[in-house]
Amino acid sequence: MLKKITAVFLRDLKVNTREMISIYILVVPVLFAIFINLLTPGINDTTVRLAMIDGDNPAQVEYLENFANVSLFKNAADVEERVGRRDNFIGILPEGDGYYIFKQGNEPEYLIDFTKLLKTLFETGASLGDSAAEIVEFGRETPPLKKMLVNISILFSSVLGGMMITLNVVEEKADNTISAMNVSPISRTGFILGKSLMGVTMPIYGSLAILLITGYGGVNVAQMLLLILSAAILSMMIGFIEGLNNDDMMTAAGSFKLVFMPLAGAIAAAEALSEKWQWVAWWVPYYWAYKGNDSVLSQSSTWGQILLYTGIILGMCGLVYLILAPRIRAGLEKG
Amino acid sequence: MIKVKNLYHSYSRDERYAVKDVSFEIEKGEIFGFLGPSGAGKSTTQGILSGLLRLQKGEVTVAGYNVKKISNKMFNQIGMSFEQSNVYNKLTARENLAFYRKLFDVETRDPDELLELVGLADKAKVKAGEFSKGMKHRLTFARSMINNPSIWFLDEPTTGLDPAIAATIKDIIWDQKKREVTTFLTTHNMFIADELCNRVAFIVDGEVRLIDSPRSLKLQYGSRFVDIEYIGGNGLVKESLSTVDDKDRARIKHIIDNNEIQTMHTKEATLEEIFIKVTGRGLI
Ligand SMILES: Nc1ncnc2c1ncn2[C@@H]1O[C@H](COP(=O)(O)OP(=O)(O)O)[C@@H](O)[C@H]1O
Ligand SMILES: [Mg+2]
Repeated sequence: MLKKITAVFLRDLKVNTREMISIYILVVPVLFAIFINLLTPGINDTTVRLAMIDGDNPAQVEYLENFANVSLFKNAADVEERVGRRDNFIGILPEGDGYYIFKQGNEPEYLIDFTKLLKTLFETGASLGDSAAEIVEFGRETPPLKKMLVNISILFSSVLGGMMITLNVVEEKADNTISAMNVSPISRTGFILGKSLMGVTMPIYGSLAILLITGYGGVNVAQMLLLILSAAILSMMIGFIEGLNNDDMMTAAGSFKLVFMPLAGAIAAAEALSEKWQWVAWWVPYYWAYKGNDSVLSQSSTWGQILLYTGIILGMCGLVYLILAPRIRAGLEKG
Repeated sequence: MIKVKNLYHSYSRDERYAVKDVSFEIEKGEIFGFLGPSGAGKSTTQGILSGLLRLQKGEVTVAGYNVKKISNKMFNQIGMSFEQSNVYNKLTARENLAFYRKLFDVETRDPDELLELVGLADKAKVKAGEFSKGMKHRLTFARSMINNPSIWFLDEPTTGLDPAIAATIKDIIWDQKKREVTTFLTTHNMFIADELCNRVAFIVDGEVRLIDSPRSLKLQYGSRFVDIEYIGGNGLVKESLSTVDDKDRARIKHIIDNNEIQTMHTKEATLEEIFIKVTGRGLI
C-alpha cells in the first residue's frame, strides 16, 4: 500500500518539476522569503550594530558590548560616515556632558528604541544582573511587519499544495488515466492518499524554506507544522474538487479565489479588527492558523494554545470533509 | 475463467439498454471474440467485466471474483488494453510503464522488454505526448501485459494501426494464447476475429445473436454461397447469396430467369458475410 502511494506521489512530483507552471509554484515560497528579506533588510540579526569613538568612555563601550555589536572609529566624523551608509548602524556620540544617538533615518524604529534603552540602562547604572533579562527579551522581540509577512507567506504556501493537487488531477483527467488506475490493484483510497501527499509536503517544504531563509529557524517548528498541516487539509480537499470540476488549469486556478478570499479576510481581521470584533473571523480555519503562527513566531506560544487552535482547525476541516469527501470519491468513480 | 449471466446495462438507468440479456462463458486459455458494429455494446460489456463500469443487473464472475463487489487484488490478474489510449503524456514511454508496474503486487515485466515487443524500443525516452495515435495505442497495449495477466481484455487492439503493426499485435496475442492467457477481445475487424478467436459472439444493438467457433460457422455456412455477376438495369451488378436460405434461393432463381449472367461461382463465406447473414447488419 505504502509503495503504491509513494509511487503516485513521486510520479506527480516528477511531472511537476517538468512543467513551467508547477515549477513556478514550487519556487514561490523561496521567492516570498527572499522578497521579505529584501523588504526588511537587517532585521534578521536582532543585535544592534553601534558605531562609537575609540578611547572615549571605555566603560560605556564595555557595557554596551554585552548587548550590541560595537565598532570603534577614530573620530566623530568617521562615526557619522559609517552611520551614513545604507545598512543599519547607529552612532552614539558625546555631546557636552552626555551622549546623543546619531542615526541616518532609514533604521527601523525598534533598533533606535533598543539603542535608547541600552544607553539609558548604562546611564542609570543598571547592573547586568538586573537588566539582562529585560534587554534580551526586548532584543528578541521581532518586528511586526516581518513577522506578519512571514506568517502570511507560510499560510499562502500551505494553499499552494492544494493548487498542485488541482494541477495533477486535471492532468489525470486530460490524459484519461484514471480509468487505468481503476483497473490496477491500487485502491481508490490509496490513489487519493498518493495524490494528497503533495498537499502535505508542499506546506512542510514551504514553511521550512520561509522560516530558514527569513531567519526564523529558531522558532518551535513542530507547533508551526501542526497548525499549517491541519489548515492545509482544507486546501487539499478544495484542490481535489477543483481538479475534478475543471478541465483546464487556468479556470481551476481562478476558482482558488474561494480559498484566498477567506484567507486574506482572516488575516485582515486578525490584524486590523479590535479585540471586540475578532469573532467575525472565528469561522475561518486560517484565522486560527494565523493567530497560532503569530504566537509561534513571537516565541510566546504554549502547547496548550497550539493544540486548542489545531483542534478548532481540524474540527472545521472535518465538517468540510463530510461534505466534500463523497464528492471527491464519486469524481474518481467508475461510470 | 469468465462467467456472464443475463447481463444488462443502461447508461441512462432506464429501459434503454446498451447491453441486453447477455450471457456467455469463457474457458481458461480461450480467445473469445466479441464482434459487432460500432455502438453494439462491446466496450460496455468489457467495461463491466473489467470492473470499470458498475454492474447493474446480471451475474458476472471473473477469475473467481464476483464483479459485484470487486477486490483490488483481482486486478493483479487482469490486463486491460483500452480502445482510447490513455497514457501520461508528460511521461516518457518507459516512465509510463515503470510507474504502472509499481501499482501491482505480483511479478511484473521489464518495461524495455515490452517496448521492444511492440516496436517502441527506440522511443523509450520520448514523452508519450509526442507520440502518434498508433504509438500511444501500442504503449497502452504494452502496458496491459505488464503484470503477466491471466485474463486479458483487449478493446479494438488493432483498430487504426497500419497493417504491419496490426500483424505484430496479432502475433503477440497468439503468443499470449500459448501461455494459456484467457482473452476477451472486442473488434469489428472480422479477419482478426477469424484468425485469432476460438469462439466469437455476434453482438448487435446490445444483444448477442450467436456464439460459435469461426470454424463451425464456416462449416454451417460453408461453400453454400454464390457470387453472381449479371447485367441489371443499370449495368453490371454483383451479389453474394446463400444457397440454403429460402429468400436467397428465390432471389438467385429470379436473377437467373430475368438477367444475363456474366459469372457465377460458389465460395466459402467470410465471417463478415456470415455476420451479415445472421444479424442482417453490416459491421461498420
Ligand atoms: N459513457 C456513456 N454514456 C452514455 N452512453 C454510452 C456511453 N458509452 C457508450 N454509450 C452508448 O452505449 C452503446 C454501446 O456503446 P459501446 O459499448 O461503446 O459500443 P461498441 O464498443 O460496441 O462500439 C452506444 O449506443 C453508445 O452510444
Ligand atoms: Mg468500443
